[in-house]
Amino acid sequence: MKQTPEFDHIQQQMQPGVITLEGFLGSDKRNLIDIIVEDEGTVRRHDQTNQAIAERMQYFRDAGFDGLGEFITLDENFDVRVDSVRGKLPSPFGGPGMYEKVNTTVLNKKINKEITFTDLHIHFIKDHGFYQGKGSSYRLEPTDLIEILQVAPTEV
Amino acid sequence: MLSSLFVSVSVITLISLFLALLMVIADATVGNYGMARITINNDKVLDVEAGRPLLSTLKSEEIFIPSACGGRGSCGLCKVKVVEGGGNYLPTELPLLEKEDIDNLIRISCQLKVKNDMSIEIPEELFSVRQFETKVESIRDLTHDIKEVRLKLIDPPSIEMKAGQFIQFEVPEYELTDEAVYRAYSMASAPSETDVVELQIRLVPNGICTTYVHEHLKEGQDVSINGPYGDFFLRDTDRDIICIAGGSGMAPIKSILLDMAEKGSKRKARYFFGARSARDLFLVDEMKELEQKMEDFKFIPALSEPQPEDNWTGETGLITDVVHRLVESAPDAEAYLCGSPGMIDACIKVLSDLGVPQEHIYYDKFA
Amino acid sequence: MSNALYPFAVFFAAIFTSNILLTNYLGMCSFLSVSKELETSAGLGIAVTFVMAVTTALNWIVYELVLIPFNLEYLRFIVFIIVIAAFVQLIEMIIERYSEGLYFALGIFLPLITVNCAILGASLFMVIREYTFMTSFFFGLGSGLGWLLAIMAMAGIRQRLRTAKIPYGLEGAGIALIIAGFMAMAFMGFNGMISIS
Repeated sequence: MKQTPEFDHIQQQMQPGVITLEGFLGSDKRNLIDIIVEDEGTVRRHDQTNQAIAERMQYFRDAGFDGLGEFITLDENFDVRVDSVRGKLPSPFGGPGMYEKVNTTVLNKKINKEITFTDLHIHFIKDHGFYQGKGSSYRLEPTDLIEILQVAPTEV
Repeated sequence: MLSSLFVSVSVITLISLFLALLMVIADATVGNYGMARITINNDKVLDVEAGRPLLSTLKSEEIFIPSACGGRGSCGLCKVKVVEGGGNYLPTELPLLEKEDIDNLIRISCQLKVKNDMSIEIPEELFSVRQFETKVESIRDLTHDIKEVRLKLIDPPSIEMKAGQFIQFEVPEYELTDEAVYRAYSMASAPSETDVVELQIRLVPNGICTTYVHEHLKEGQDVSINGPYGDFFLRDTDRDIICIAGGSGMAPIKSILLDMAEKGSKRKARYFFGARSARDLFLVDEMKELEQKMEDFKFIPALSEPQPEDNWTGETGLITDVVHRLVESAPDAEAYLCGSPGMIDACIKVLSDLGVPQEHIYYDKFA
Repeated sequence: MSNALYPFAVFFAAIFTSNILLTNYLGMCSFLSVSKELETSAGLGIAVTFVMAVTTALNWIVYELVLIPFNLEYLRFIVFIIVIAAFVQLIEMIIERYSEGLYFALGIFLPLITVNCAILGASLFMVIREYTFMTSFFFGLGSGLGWLLAIMAMAGIRQRLRTAKIPYGLEGAGIALIIAGFMAMAFMGFNGMISIS
C-alpha cells in the first residue's frame, strides 16, 4: 500500500547502518505501513492491544533492572535478566527521546521458552505498533511475546 | 500535417519553458535565503549562507555544538541561546525544551533554520572544540570484548582537554552503512599527552561503531574525531574521591587518575571496578603502579561471578554491595561514576545512603 | 436553473452527488494511505481542496487562452499535469519560506498531491462538461471539499476500527476499500438532491 512521505523517511531511518548495524527491517521488502498493519491485525485477533503487550514488557524490564545484569526470579514462573551498555539511540520514527541500550531477557520456565527485547522495542510496540521486519534477527513475533510473557487478554 | 506537429511541439515547449523559468526565479528568490549574519556572544561575527539548520551552519564554520542523534531532533543536546532572529518555535523543538529554556530563549539548533540575521550565545568552552584528523597508532585487546585504540593527532597536532572528557568518533561508510555516523567515547589518555587520544571501545552486538572498530579498523588508518566535550571531569576541591566504573567505563577514570598522579594530588581516592569474572579485568598492573605513585589511592576490583579457575581472592558480589560494605559513610566525598544506566542508578542510591550529597555525584549524561 | 446559480449547483453536486472520490473513484491511493488518523486526513484534505480549486481555474485559463486558439485540445493531458506539478512546487516553496506553521501542517503532504489523480480528473471533467471559468473554480473547490469530506469520514470510521478484529488478509487496504464501497453506496442516497448531467 502506498505510504506517506513521512513513512518513507522513517523507513529510510530503519535501513542498516543508519541507527544500528543491521537496521530494523531485516530482509522484509514490504513498505513499513504494510508491516505495521499486518502485525496490528494479528494482535487484535488474539484479543490484545499493542499497549498491553508493551506494558507487560516494561513490567519485566523494570523488575529485572535491579539484577544489574544477573538473572533474577520473578512471579514464580519467570527468570529475568536485564543488562545494559552505555550510549543511547534515537528512534527512527523521529521525535524527542533517546532510548537506552538495555536488553531484557525473559525465560518462561513453565513452557521453557525465552525471548529478548530492548528498550527501543518497547517504544516501537507501545508508540507505533512496530514489531520489526520479518527476517530481522531482532524481530519479535507478537504471538511469541503474548505467549512467553503471558500477556493477559485485554478488554477493549 | 508537419506544421501542426511543429505547432504542438512548440506550444508544449513554450509552456514548459515558461513554468521552468518561473521555478528558477522562485528558487532564486523565495527558495534562496541569501546570506545571513550570525553574531556570537556579541563578539564574533560570521557571514553564512542561510537556509540550513543552525547546527550544521555552525559546524561548517568550525563551531561544534554537541549532538548525539545526528540532527534528528531526538537528543536535545544541541541547545543554543538565540537572543535575536530565531523566529517562532517549531513544533519539533517544543518537546525537548523546559519552560525555563523557553524563558531563556534556548532553541534546538538542529531544527532551527537560519533564515535571517541572528544573535546567539554559546558557552566559551565550545570554542575549543575542534575537528581532528588522526591516524591509528595502535589497537590492542584489553579483554575478550574491549579494545584499546590509540590515535595519533595529525591535524591539528595537539588537543587541550580536561581529564574525563569525551570525543566524537566518526565512523565512515563501510559494509552495510551508507553514511557517516558519530559515536561518543571517553578519553583514557592523560591531558598531558597532548598529541594522542586513547579510547577504550567495547564490542556491542549490532553496534555500528563498535563493529567497525573491532572488525575493520587497522593500525595506520585515518580517523576523524572532534572534541573535547563533556562536563565529566575532576572538580578542583579537597574532597575525597570515590570512582565506580566497570568495563570500558574505566576510560575517563583512568584519565583522571593519571592526571592526579602527574600533578601530585594528595586527595584520597578509591576506584571500585565491577566485573563478572577474571577475564573481564584489565590494566590491573597499571592500576597497581598508580597505587604506588599516588599518595592515597586504592584500586578495588570486585567480581560478581568469579569462575573457579580464576582463583579469586579479592572482593566478590555486585559492585554496589561492595561499595556499601567497604565505605563507612562519606558525606565529604565526591563520586565519579561511569557505566551503564542501570549501574549508575544503583550506585547513586548506594552513595546517597552513604551520605554523599547529590550535587557531588558526577556521571556522563551522554551515555 | 438560472445561469447565475449554476456554479453553486455544481458546487454542491461535486460535494455530495458526484463526489469525485466516492462516485468517480478518483484519488484513492493517497486516500487509503493517509486516512488512518483524523488530523492528518484533515490536513491532506485541505491541501487537496486548495490545489484542486486553484489548478482547475488555472487550467481553464490555459485551455481557453492557449490550447483552443492553437487547436491543441488533445494536448490537455500533458499540459494540465505540467501546470499542476509546477504549481505544487511553487506553493511548497512559498509555504516553507513564509509560514513554518502551515508548512508543518500541510507542507509534508504536497509532494503526495501532485500524483493525486483526482486533481487531474477535476481539470479534465471541466473540459468535458464545458464549464465556464466561475463554474470551473467552484467545481474544483467543491470536488476538493467532497474529497475532504470522504477522507475525514473514512478516517473517523478507521479510528473506530482500531479496536475491531479484522479477518486475516483484509487489514489495511482490504478493509479500507470495502468501507469506501459502503460509503459510495451511502452517498448514492444523495442522488435525489441535485442532479447535474
